[in-house]
Amino acid sequence: MEATIQTKNEHPRLRELKFTLHRIFRNPSAILGFALLIFFLGVAVAAPHLAPPKYEHAPYQMPHKGYSPTPKAPSAEHMFGTSSGQYDIFYGIVWGTRTAFKIGLFVVGFAGIIGISLGVIAGYFGGWFDELLMRFVDIVWSIPLLVLAMTIVVAFGRGLENIMLALALVEWRWYVRVIRSEVIKTRRQEFVEAAKLMGVSDLKIIFRHILPNSIYPVLIMASMDMGSMVISASFMSFVGLGAPKGYADWGQMVALARNYIVGPPSDPFKFWYTIAFPGLAIILFVLAWNLIGDALRDAFDPKLRRR
Amino acid sequence: MKNLLETKDLVTNFYTYEGVVKALDKVSIEIKHGQTFGLVGESGCGKSVTVRSIMRIIQQPGKIESGEVLYCDDAESDECDELLSKSEAWMRELRGDRISMIFQEPNAALNPVLTIGEQVAESYMFHRKRSISKQVLKDVAEGKSSFGLFHPFLKWVYSTAAANPNARLLKVLDRIPLLKLWRRPLHREAIRRSVKIIGKLGISNPEEIVTRYPHNLSGGMKQRIVIAIALACNPTLLIADEATSNLDVTIQAQILDLLGELKRKKAISSVLLITHDLGVVAETCDRVGVMYAGTLCEVADVKDLFNSPQHPYTKALLNSVPRFCVEGELATIEGSVPNLVTPPSGCRFHPRCKSATEICKTQKPELVDLGNGHMAACHNIQVKAED
Amino acid sequence: MTFSPERRAAVYVTSPQQAKNIPQLIEKYGLNDPIPVQYSRWIKEVAKGNLGWSLVAARPVAKAFWSYFPTTLELNLFASPLVIIIGIWLGTLAGVHKDSWLDHGTRIGAIVGWSLPTFLFALILLMVFYGYFDLFPPGIISNDISLWVINNPDKFTRYTGMYSIDGILNGNLWVTWNALKHLILPVITQVIVVVALLMRVMRSGMLEELSKDYVITAKAKGADSQTINIKHARKNALIPVITVAGQLVALSMEGSIAVEVVFGRQGMGWWLAHSATQLDMPVLMSMCMFIGLVFVLSNLIIDIMYAYIDPRIQLQ
Repeated sequence: MEATIQTKNEHPRLRELKFTLHRIFRNPSAILGFALLIFFLGVAVAAPHLAPPKYEHAPYQMPHKGYSPTPKAPSAEHMFGTSSGQYDIFYGIVWGTRTAFKIGLFVVGFAGIIGISLGVIAGYFGGWFDELLMRFVDIVWSIPLLVLAMTIVVAFGRGLENIMLALALVEWRWYVRVIRSEVIKTRRQEFVEAAKLMGVSDLKIIFRHILPNSIYPVLIMASMDMGSMVISASFMSFVGLGAPKGYADWGQMVALARNYIVGPPSDPFKFWYTIAFPGLAIILFVLAWNLIGDALRDAFDPKLRRR
Repeated sequence: MKNLLETKDLVTNFYTYEGVVKALDKVSIEIKHGQTFGLVGESGCGKSVTVRSIMRIIQQPGKIESGEVLYCDDAESDECDELLSKSEAWMRELRGDRISMIFQEPNAALNPVLTIGEQVAESYMFHRKRSISKQVLKDVAEGKSSFGLFHPFLKWVYSTAAANPNARLLKVLDRIPLLKLWRRPLHREAIRRSVKIIGKLGISNPEEIVTRYPHNLSGGMKQRIVIAIALACNPTLLIADEATSNLDVTIQAQILDLLGELKRKKAISSVLLITHDLGVVAETCDRVGVMYAGTLCEVADVKDLFNSPQHPYTKALLNSVPRFCVEGELATIEGSVPNLVTPPSGCRFHPRCKSATEICKTQKPELVDLGNGHMAACHNIQVKAED
Repeated sequence: MTFSPERRAAVYVTSPQQAKNIPQLIEKYGLNDPIPVQYSRWIKEVAKGNLGWSLVAARPVAKAFWSYFPTTLELNLFASPLVIIIGIWLGTLAGVHKDSWLDHGTRIGAIVGWSLPTFLFALILLMVFYGYFDLFPPGIISNDISLWVINNPDKFTRYTGMYSIDGILNGNLWVTWNALKHLILPVITQVIVVVALLMRVMRSGMLEELSKDYVITAKAKGADSQTINIKHARKNALIPVITVAGQLVALSMEGSIAVEVVFGRQGMGWWLAHSATQLDMPVLMSMCMFIGLVFVLSNLIIDIMYAYIDPRIQLQ
């Protein structure tokens, strides 16, 4: 005589995972986001086949026939047309996908790892380290991302690598703050105290109990950051602090289009392709990550979780 | 004499990810005028869902599927209203005015950013506009207060309010930024009445309390304020949803005494008390209903229930109350509360019942009148000897 | 890491002859000294009021500041109230009518707004409304008006440095109208980028509040939805919104940079971007300091707002 109803015989973790995945994917925006992401991944991976590089040793250098500043419209030869300086736009878009992923992964990875490590230590152990770190973060916090990043780039010098480094050096402060507050919240919970009382080592507690519970907001942030870092990097390239002219970077391509956004009075949209294609690429790439991040946020929100 | 409140076969479901939770399975309750009715049961048995269905404040994803709720406000007349078929606007008039509800957690029931006075006055502002407008006009006519510069305008507005509190004019005025201030005298009178009722509930310095915020008050005082809000408009029925469960015992005693006194003074007519504490029930209630897993198992006058419980669940419940001077292990009811997505077939208690028979597994028992107003829903009552 | 002393000196050099003087420049300005020494020297100068010389502005930084600041202020003066009003209003609506078309619409709008780089959106607006429709030109004010203002100081006094406001103060609405025409596109860009965040936070705040117990209590009192949403829920929902206010300020600043660069408005953001590309270090250092100050001030204001809205918090 069974008093309780049997739940399905599966491991609770697996069930939670399936529930979470269901929550993520019942959101149509998540599906769209993932679809876009897979598309971009495909383009990035297949870059050498889609747009064979002209210079074997420097695939990111966009090929150009001649130096004429006037862009040419899309044609059979140049599928998306050419930009100012005769750079092939299609090539730039394809290889720019790789650049975008590079930027996102580097900045988020770097900032994330440093931020999470420091934040976990500060949040879990507290004490003088926590105080010191928080004072430092407070100081850095007062300056917006873009301004500080630009200052760093001016000090270090131009170039795509320096942009990525600068962005990473500024963005880690977010990760520290977020994970530190989550760690502090989790640390106070009773199951952590119970584990401590049982004599579990600090390292184990951190990895088994604290991290899995505090990581969700960071995941959401990381996903959104993949997009917003690409935006910031493309703006800095647009202004001229980033990749050199002719490098396959979407922001740089918009910079090339700068003088041609308004065509002659008779046909103001004449050079639409110079800005439309790189612009669309940026928007869709960032949109993909934002949709995913938004879906994650809805799926992980404990209040909205169980309807 | 007819009943104050009567539910007939109330069915409420909740549509969740895990399935449809059949929270209420044909619940039928009767409350008479002037009666204190206690609704007891374990956590999750559907007590709160029942009263929220009556008040129609069930939120998504819940839905009242079927049944009837008859409410007869006036003991003398024969008029009754069927609540489930009324419009939302009609229900809004009813809530807080004729039927009031107080909740378990006084901390959460009060809005932290509004003053106490504001929150108590709200009850008057919603339901007593006419009376307050008349009072305001009277005060102005007698010279106790004045409309100041805007006398003709405000006199006109208040006359309209006294005649028809729901007038379009008032709603329009409320939307316009500066003209909204017509409510000031109304508000002042509402606060004055709030002070009176807070004072009546035994809180000292009510004039000062109305300017404070909830976090300045203790738990017991907060619950009194919540009761003040509920009683502001002299409701006929007061529903207390575990109102004393979160208070410490001394405060609990005070609040229950207060409720008893209010009943004696006829400030409220009937009380529907929801609790899981049998001691409270024994002290305060006239009639008791026992619920389990969304069904009503047994209803009886309080003495009958405690002296001769008929339903196996009631018996087991009373048995598990620890007794003074009796040694040995605490008795429990084996098993645990069923999952209401897939409730047990037939009688919902049968998996845990010691006297379950074949019919219990297949057929849901109906409430059977055992005489003297004592009703129980069990197939095996006649078989058992009386205690 | 940092540019070598030679490169930093080379920034100020304009002809090959001057290039010969680079070693002396390095010597004179102590560009070879260790960084802490250079930094303390800078601090000493700042305390004296000397913020350095701006290449881009061809003026001392302190003086150039007063010509760039009003422009940025003007932009934010028009954009910020719009952001606050639209953000709170739409966010509340989206939270109250969850899962309705309005909710989905504003959410999609917010996500798209968040995905759109400010500079790209500005470029597109420029392309359409200036290139195609020829309605709203870039820049701060038309050339003829700015020339007229310079040539007629007696007829037009520049009180604030903001054309739109000065026009009203001078009684010359033509100037105001022209300034506003140049402001429309920048303000729209700025608003759309910042409002996305505000709407999202407001919406989630409302969703959280609407499931709280005191909302159910209000309903049991017989409150109508208007009272519940605005009086009860929204006031509480504003608390987390204020928390994000600092972020909104930062976002506005970053937005200003892109907007000013694309629309050619010579404000602080424009100055910053051009100083960065031309390696104008004094400007960048002064800018960081200024922005730090703005943040300290805005945090103070935010704390005051907290105390105003949430009675549980007392100002010490």
